[in-house]
Amino acid sequence: MTIYESDLPGVGKKYEVELEGGERLVIVTHNTGKREVYLKADADADSDKLFELPDRMARKVGTILEGAYFQPVKTNRVETMLTDETFIEWYGVPADSDLVGQAIADAKIRERTGVSIIAIQRGSEVITPPTPETVLEAEDTVVVVGEREDCIEFEQLLGNGGRE
Amino acid sequence: MATETTLIEIGVLFAAAASAGVLANRLGQSVIPLYILFGMVLNEYVLGTAPVPEFLTPVVGETFPYLAETDFIYLGAELGIVFLLFFLGLEFNLERLLETRNRIGKAGSIDLALNFGVGLVLGWFFFGDLLAAFILAGIVYISSSAIITKSLIDLGWIANDEADAMLGTLVYEDLFIAIYLAVVSALVLGGGNVGDAIGQIGAAMAFIVGLLVLVYFGSEWFQQLLETDSFEFLVLRTLGVLVLVSGAALSLGVSEAVAAFFVGMAFSSTDHVHDLEQLLAPLRDTFAAVFFFWIGLLTDPSVFGGVAGMIVIAALLTTPAKLVSGYLGGRIYDLDERRSIRVGLGMVTRGEFSLIIASTVIAVTSSGSGGAIGTGVVDTIYAFSVGYVLLMSILGTTLMQYSDRVEAALVPRLERVAGTEKQPGN
Repeated sequence: MTIYESDLPGVGKKYEVELEGGERLVIVTHNTGKREVYLKADADADSDKLFELPDRMARKVGTILEGAYFQPVKTNRVETMLTDETFIEWYGVPADSDLVGQAIADAKIRERTGVSIIAIQRGSEVITPPTPETVLEAEDTVVVVGEREDCIEFEQLLGNGGRE
Repeated sequence: MATETTLIEIGVLFAAAASAGVLANRLGQSVIPLYILFGMVLNEYVLGTAPVPEFLTPVVGETFPYLAETDFIYLGAELGIVFLLFFLGLEFNLERLLETRNRIGKAGSIDLALNFGVGLVLGWFFFGDLLAAFILAGIVYISSSAIITKSLIDLGWIANDEADAMLGTLVYEDLFIAIYLAVVSALVLGGGNVGDAIGQIGAAMAFIVGLLVLVYFGSEWFQQLLETDSFEFLVLRTLGVLVLVSGAALSLGVSEAVAAFFVGMAFSSTDHVHDLEQLLAPLRDTFAAVFFFWIGLLTDPSVFGGVAGMIVIAALLTTPAKLVSGYLGGRIYDLDERRSIRVGLGMVTRGEFSLIIASTVIAVTSSGSGGAIGTGVVDTIYAFSVGYVLLMSILGTTLMQYSDRVEAALVPRLERVAGTEKQPGN
C-alpha cells in the first residue's frame, strides 16, 4: 500500500492511499481540522466526495477504524493455515483447566496431543519460545502449531482437563 | 472623509456583508464580488443619490441615509489587507517552495512572463506611461488565492492533481506580489524623480531585509513569545506584533501588506501555526469582508462607463493569457490535457490582490506629495481594477463550474494537435 502525501498551501494536507484494484482514497485534512474523504476510481480519475467530518468526529471515526473499540479477531480461537494440514491456533487457557499450574513438559502436551506450543501470551508479555519448564497459568493465550486433529485434541485437553 | 461612525453604520455594514454571503451561497458564486456590489449599492453615489419617494420624505428626508466611508471602515479595510497578507506569509513555507522549486519555478515564471507581459503592453497602450503600465500589469497578473482556493474546495478539485499545479503557481504569485507591492509603492511615492524612486525602493528593500533578518534569526523569540496556554493571549500577542509592525512599516512609507507578509512568515516557523490559523481565520474573514465592502463604498458605478472599454479589452486579452499560462503550467506538472485546461480556467479568477494593489497605489498617492502619476490616472486605474475584478472573479468561478463543457470543446482539439505533432516521428 502506497500513501502519497502532498501539501495544499492555504488549505492543508492531502493524503492519497492506493487501494486494491487501482482505486485511490483521498483524504484532505484542512487547516481548520475538517477532513474530506474522496474516492478516485483510478489515479487519473476525478475525485468523488464521499463525506466530510469535523476534527473531533474524524478522530473518533479514526479510532474505530484503528480497532480501538472492537477487534473482530478477538475470539478464543483463531486459526491460521500453514499448509493444507498444519495450522497455527490460539487458545485461551480457562481458569479451571487442569493444565493450569503444570509445566509444559510435565503435562506431556506433545505426547498426548501432537501439537507444539510455540508461544504464550501472558498479559502484555509474550513468552516465545516457551521452555519445557514454562508453567501454564490461567488466562494465558497459548499459540500452538499442529495438525487439525491434534489441535482439536489439545482444545479438549484444555477444556476437559485430564478426562480423555 | 467623515470621521464619525455610529454603531448602527457598522451594524448596517455587517448586516449587508452577511446578506452578501447568503446571496453568494444561493447563486453558487464567490462572495467577494458580492461584498463589493453590496458596498456599492449602499454608498453615497447609489443610495445617496437615489430619488426618495414622496411618502418617505417625512421619515428619511431628501436623501436616503447612505453608508459613508469613515475612518473606522477605512482602518477595518486596512486590517483586512494586513490579515490577508499575514495569512499568505503564515502559510508560506520556504522549504516547501524549495523542494518543488523546479515545477513551481517553471510554471510560475511562465505565468509571470505571459500575464505580466500582456499587462505591461496593455498598460502602455492605455496610458502611455511606464509606471501606470507597471501597476496595471500587477493588477491583471495576479490571480485570486482566496476565490480559487474556495472554488477548489467547493468543486472537490482539491483532491485532484490539478490542485497541486494551481496552488503551486499561486505560491509563486504570492511571493512575487509581496516584493512587487514594496517596489510599486516606492515607485509611486518616489515621484517622477528616478533618484527619489531609487531611494524609496532602497528604503523599502532595507525594511524588507531587516524583516527577513528578524524572520531568520528571531524564530526562537517568536516561539517564546507565543508560549501560553491561553488562546486569548496568543491572539493578542500575535496582533500586537502584526499590527504594530505593519503600522510601523506604513508610517515609514513601506507597504503594510508587505510587512504583514513577513510577520506571517516569521510566525510560520513556530509550533503555533495551526493554532494561529484556526484562531485568526475568522478575524481575517471579517476584516477581509470589510475591505471588499470598503472597495464598494468608494466606487461610483458611473465611472465604469469611462473604463468599460478598457475592462473589456483587458478581459479579452488577459483571459486567454491566463488560460495558456495555466495550461502550460499544468503540463509542467505532468497533468493531462483536461486537467491542464482546468488549471487555466481556475487561474482566470482575479480578486483580492488586484484590489490591494489598486488601493495601495491610491493610499500612497493621497498620502504622498502628489506622487509620480496624476490623480486622474490613479482614479482611472482604481475604477478599472474594481470593474475588472468584478468581471474576472465571476468569470473565473463560472468557468470552473462549467469546466466540463470547456473541456469537452477543447480536449479533442488539443489532443489532435498533440497527435499531429507526434506523427512525423512515426
